Amino acid sequence: MSVFLQLLINGLIAGSIYSLVAAGFSLTYSVNKFMNFAHGAMIAFSGYMMFNFFSKYRQGFVLAFLLAILCTAALGLAADFLVYRQLRKRKASTTIQLIASLALLTMINSCILLFFSSDVRSIKIANPVYIVMDARITMVQAVIILTAILMMAVLWLVAFKTKIGKAMRAISDNKEVAQTVGINPEKIYLSCALISSVLAGIGGVLIGIEQNLYPQMGVMLIVKGFAATVMGGLGLIQGTIFGSYLLGMVENFGIWYLPSGYKDAISFVLLFLFLLFRPYGIFGKKRREDVA
Amino acid sequence: MNYDYLIHIGILTAIYMINAFSFNLSLGYTGLINLGQMALFGFGAYASALLTRLLGMNVWVAMFIAGLMTMVLGMVLALPALRLKKDYLALVMLGLSFILYALSKNWISLTRGSLGLPGTVKLFKSNLNFLIAAILIAIITYVVLKKIVNSKLGLVFQAIRDDELSAAVLGKDIFISKAIALGISAFFAGVAGSLLAHYLTFIDPSIFDLSQLVILLSMLIVGGLASLEGTALGVLAIVLITEPLRFIGFSPVLLGPMREIIYAALLLIILIYRPRGLLGKVDID
Repeated sequence: MSVFLQLLINGLIAGSIYSLVAAGFSLTYSVNKFMNFAHGAMIAFSGYMMFNFFSKYRQGFVLAFLLAILCTAALGLAADFLVYRQLRKRKASTTIQLIASLALLTMINSCILLFFSSDVRSIKIANPVYIVMDARITMVQAVIILTAILMMAVLWLVAFKTKIGKAMRAISDNKEVAQTVGINPEKIYLSCALISSVLAGIGGVLIGIEQNLYPQMGVMLIVKGFAATVMGGLGLIQGTIFGSYLLGMVENFGIWYLPSGYKDAISFVLLFLFLLFRPYGIFGKKRREDVA
Repeated sequence: MNYDYLIHIGILTAIYMINAFSFNLSLGYTGLINLGQMALFGFGAYASALLTRLLGMNVWVAMFIAGLMTMVLGMVLALPALRLKKDYLALVMLGLSFILYALSKNWISLTRGSLGLPGTVKLFKSNLNFLIAAILIAIITYVVLKKIVNSKLGLVFQAIRDDELSAAVLGKDIFISKAIALGISAFFAGVAGSLLAHYLTFIDPSIFDLSQLVILLSMLIVGGLASLEGTALGVLAIVLITEPLRFIGFSPVLLGPMREIIYAALLLIILIYRPRGLLGKVDID
């Protein structure tokens, strides 16, 4: 029973981490229709900024947190302005944007490597452990779960209850029609880049505190976030939530039967099966342009 | 300046070129966004290293068989290529390299995991002989692929890239054609991987790294799609741009990331300002 409960909690924690990663990725997909793999590097960048301001320059926790988010937001806006907007201008396909995002991902990774070296870093804060019916959970892990839930709730509120969310959904639905009713797509793309990089900033700080920091961490994170969104259905909030927790649970309960080294392999195989047989995910609908 | 270093760069360039030629057949000529190229390359490398290591096979035979095994893997990829479109196909292919990465890292009894496989048999004792062999194989790859893309079959590949529906309406079997294109492309990717394994005499899971894919993409896209001459030029250009960094006086620790930044930046610049690259004939879409 206690093993079961511990695995359940571990699955919940992993799922929350994946949904922190997947939230911004999925938002960008729903509005811009391309898969922004550089999102993983943004998360790693935010974690390193937190390390930089908090552990290295000894700023207060809140100030360091805010500065990390600010830096990540600036990077996200710069990437959108310098790369993705230029690609949109020449009407580049979503595949080109995907390839560009892979290039950006390795570029940001290498910059992190250049400035912070390949040493594994950690952000040390007081982190008490709670025991809930024989299962362990740390304070940071509890905060991660709460933040993930809160983030999804806010995302849902923004998408369905605000004017900008309405405009985003309109662009997502049909860009041309949205333009004719006076929505400026570039403005929407820019605010989408801002929101998703702030999400990356928040996620990056929390993940950076929970796990160790290493320059390539963004790759693994975004692959997991990507797997989660594909399983749930790309660009859908409910799909992102469902996929993230499904992935977290499957990985953690999977190692009941398999050696723990296979954790990643389990999720890749699951991702592969989804991509092959149900690429539009559990909540998504089949579209002619994706699947024949 | 010593010759050993030049020979080393020459060998790596030739291997990159074989891999990039192969990449151009699937991506440039057939229009399949094959982001799993590194999976095929790494699969060939591991297959060949294991064949010589476990079965004591002759290196040349192992290289050929590794090529054939990779070809089978490539042809299997034609199954999703029939069903899925564009981005999803690209991601299935990319997913394959994640799976192979996880396998090579975790199937410790076979691959020794992240420790890698050291002591793989070397193809030639002398690097100069290796260079000559690698260049010869690169030339053979070029000639064979040139023949193929100019043949009727090659025209079918390009027809599928330009307009799949019309090609199907004209009675071309899309599935078989894609399978053949991916199979041929994978064969050469496997041979290139095998060459790398028997040159470095060491391989580890980092062969499946995403950054490797970005290097190859920048070579291919700088050179231009659907032009083998462009690919050769692209590979040379990337090597010539990044190798001199070594002589400017960057420390080896900084050299790796500096190069990767340049690869990625070149790729972005080409994608934004000159999507057809140096000699490319088509755009990716």
